[in-house]
Amino acid sequence: MQPSSTTSLTPLRRLAVHSTTTCASQASAYGKCILATYTDTRKDACKEEFAKFGACLREAMKRKW
Amino acid sequence: MSFTSALRGLGRTRTAGTRRTFASVSSSGVNPGSVGPFQVFDRNAKRFQKDRAAAKEGGERSRTVDYVREEVADRMIERLLDIKRKFDTILDLGSGPGHFSKLLEPETTSKVVMLDSSAELLNRDPDSDFEVEVERIHADEENLLEVVPRNSQEAIVSCLNLHWVNDLPGILIQVKEALQPDGVFLGALFGGDTLFELRTSLQLAEVEREGGISPHVSPMTDSRDMSNLMGRAGFTLLTVDVDEVKVAYPSMWELIEDLRDMGESNAVIGRRHFIHRDTLAAASAIYKELHGQEDGSVPATFQIIYVIGWKPAPSQPKALERGSGKTNLKDIL
Repeated sequence: MQPSSTTSLTPLRRLAVHSTTTCASQASAYGKCILATYTDTRKDACKEEFAKFGACLREAMKRKW
Repeated sequence: MSFTSALRGLGRTRTAGTRRTFASVSSSGVNPGSVGPFQVFDRNAKRFQKDRAAAKEGGERSRTVDYVREEVADRMIERLLDIKRKFDTILDLGSGPGHFSKLLEPETTSKVVMLDSSAELLNRDPDSDFEVEVERIHADEENLLEVVPRNSQEAIVSCLNLHWVNDLPGILIQVKEALQPDGVFLGALFGGDTLFELRTSLQLAEVEREGGISPHVSPMTDSRDMSNLMGRAGFTLLTVDVDEVKVAYPSMWELIEDLRDMGESNAVIGRRHFIHRDTLAAASAIYKELHGQEDGSVPATFQIIYVIGWKPAPSQPKALERGSGKTNLKDIL
């Protein structure tokens, strides 16, 4: 997606775009980790994978939260 | 025996006027007037959500997300056409803009009465979209008998609305009361497997990110409950069957957006009004890995329970008494 068109999107739409396209590989890695443990998921079970996913999202959104 | 003597002992202390112990205070009965049916859904919030969804972009967004309801209305009208009867009026309970009513033809009924709690949704589409005469009543579906007299309706239909009703047994009883003897009720409502993909993804994301879960997808009924409830409400000649509508979306985000525009956002009492964006992003990733299809889309399942029930009447055909059959089934099969 072109940067000029992303600016007109709402923050939620931008998050949607980045989480499914820009950071698709990190999202997939995180999803696979959950898939491996989903019968016994606990808090921070996939912390490392999410840290990478989250870092990518924050980078793409150009903001911290 | 020790129990009765203990009781007697208790009575004695009370009549004797000694100090009351804590145990004797705790047995206050529950006043039937102060307990209503258990409240699961915030009906007020639901009405706002529907009004807002229907008013968005002059109704255009709401019309583009009609696909689930139109599909189900289409399947439901077939069930109505199986009933060989010409009606004068049909009451569409929780009609919305009339997904089901629009499919009614003059050969089936002369008139349809649409009833819905959301005024915006009820008046979204003009009368010219309908083939039969339309009347619209803006009222709360939960208090049907306040606007519809008893024993007055030939047929009541309800297409995908009863999943937001708090007192499902109560509404079924009201429907039965509003029907004339030998009147028919035809309903379609979402079953418990509806949106299970979204439910599980959000739960997993919340557990892994935040360490707990909260309600995001409503509790819904299942087909066994429905036949029990229909029987309990006093309907006879019951038919209950289950069907599925599967829709593919590019990702979880489009699903959530469409649900909102359908007016089907979360309205569970005690819901969290906020999902952390980390949790949302996590849920989207999980949804795709756990349920995603090979072409990259994600499915959403809508489970539909169809029910048909009749109000009892002396003229109705009834099942014969057990053991009164004279032909051995072995001879036929």
